Amino acid sequence: MPVTGAAIIGLLPEIIASVFMFVVLLGGVFAGERNSGIVGGLAVLGTLATFASAAVLLAIGFEGTFFGESYAVDNFALFFKLIVSGTAFFTVIAATRFAGSTGDAPEYMTLILAVVLGAMLLASMRDLFGLFLALELATIPSYALVAFDRSRRESAEGGMKYLVTGVIASSVLLYGLVLIYGVAGSANLTQVAEAFSGELTPVGLVGIGLMVSGFAFKLSAAPFHFWTPDAYQGAPTSAAAFLSVAPKAATFAVLLRILVEGLPGATATWTSIIAVIAILTMFVGNLSALRQRNVRRMLAFSSVAHSGYILVAFAAIQGGGQETGVQAILIYSAAYAVMNLGAFFAIDLVGEDAKSFNGLFKTQPALALCMGAFMAALVGIPPFSGFFGKAWVILAGAQSGSVLVYAAVGALVINSVISLPYYFGIVRNMFLEEPVSGGTAPKDDGGVRFSVYALAILTTIFILFFGLLVTLTGASGLL
Amino acid sequence: MPGPIQTVAETLNSQIPLEGFLIVAAVMFAIGAWGAVIRRNAVVVFMCVEIMINAVNLTLVAFADFLPDAGGIGASYAALIIAIAAAEVAVGLAIVLAIFRSRRTVNIDEVNSMRG
Repeated sequence: MPVTGAAIIGLLPEIIASVFMFVVLLGGVFAGERNSGIVGGLAVLGTLATFASAAVLLAIGFEGTFFGESYAVDNFALFFKLIVSGTAFFTVIAATRFAGSTGDAPEYMTLILAVVLGAMLLASMRDLFGLFLALELATIPSYALVAFDRSRRESAEGGMKYLVTGVIASSVLLYGLVLIYGVAGSANLTQVAEAFSGELTPVGLVGIGLMVSGFAFKLSAAPFHFWTPDAYQGAPTSAAAFLSVAPKAATFAVLLRILVEGLPGATATWTSIIAVIAILTMFVGNLSALRQRNVRRMLAFSSVAHSGYILVAFAAIQGGGQETGVQAILIYSAAYAVMNLGAFFAIDLVGEDAKSFNGLFKTQPALALCMGAFMAALVGIPPFSGFFGKAWVILAGAQSGSVLVYAAVGALVINSVISLPYYFGIVRNMFLEEPVSGGTAPKDDGGVRFSVYALAILTTIFILFFGLLVTLTGASGLL
Repeated sequence: MPGPIQTVAETLNSQIPLEGFLIVAAVMFAIGAWGAVIRRNAVVVFMCVEIMINAVNLTLVAFADFLPDAGGIGASYAALIIAIAAAEVAVGLAIVLAIFRSRRTVNIDEVNSMRG
């Protein structure tokens, strides 16, 4: 397997991310503890360069598979690389002040860039073991990110709960991959697709089941979601925001690639498993979120519910819904990235208790409007970003022609109604309640404020990119 | 009619079938998973996870040995998986140490301040 020059160009985003990973770490050594701004600047530059290189590759229509067909650079992968590096850009801006305050800014930024690198590799992998390596490269630093905040006891606790469930899930996932490898006789998805085109063997079925459960853990889908609230509540806000979006989007990407490219022969099996998981996940996420008074925890359960919404699109990849289903996953991932990231960051400026949002419109009207936009987007009200994701999922479900998927789409609509009270509880607190006096407001942070405003604008004007997104995802190159 | 010594020698020389490895690995995986779920000490949970990962590695190496084409590639994957398992435990023990410093316990059930 010779490495061609084209492979170097195709891997440019990953190369830039890994170079900056070490530049940030070493730059921190030379800059010293007091100059965390330099480290933050380097990390911002790194994510921006990564984003730009992926955008250029997408713009010139670069396509190819490298290393013996085990690494695919196509529009589909590049799209997810844009989501990952874009969210990382806003995250490092928002995290610079926090990272400086811990005294370990270089380590924090390096861990974020490591997750970026792993997630980007993940989106391109066509090899069962390569994708496991990439998944672990994205996951192991995220355990450390969750446990990073030494000033709060919950941080290490969240990290431990995430880690214990995460490593068990990893080994279950790996067992599934190994069994699929054993049945197929090769780790490459092309050969896997050939081996799984006929009747499923029991070992192959167990492999698929274990793999899907492992991925359900990583995507915080019910009944494997229980680590999510603790991990996101304990994690530093910027880490929780980033982990709820970027690695998750990349995991959706790789799951989609395995299922569509590697197991097209078993479509009936995995669409029905995923439809059931999706229905369960939506209800569990939304019903648990209803009870929460802590906004961070509420958003964690909301991210569980949104995983369920995206999984409905997975179940819809059958019959006439194939193309629309893939499109829906891409569009939803982009829409979810901007709205969820912004909603999490806003916690850093206001506070994690739902009461701390009281009367925000009177004290900080701009911030209240931003948070209102995020909440409306998470419910799925037009013209905010979440609406387009949900609309496309429903469209794909309607085209799929399967009763189970119709049930899942019905559950999605019911769940959107269930989710109204908790999202609009925050909105009501902000606009109708009186400000709580004497509360300790968190310190103002320019980086976080910039990210929140920028993401609120992106959430609101999502409709302007929508035409572009539909053309782009229509030619995603996966089908 | 071969004598008992010959029978033993034949058994020793015959190849152990693939299923044998797979069943041992599946049992090992189940033991590890069971331990990881019921044990409350975080360090013991990590040990159980190691058993699970080693069971997977055994499956992988057995497949690699028996598959016609895959051959050495499967075995090299096993080396990578060993490295990943080590990385997981390294981060895991660091976090457990951080927990122990602040709470003087590594019992998973006692480390539970967040609820809901």
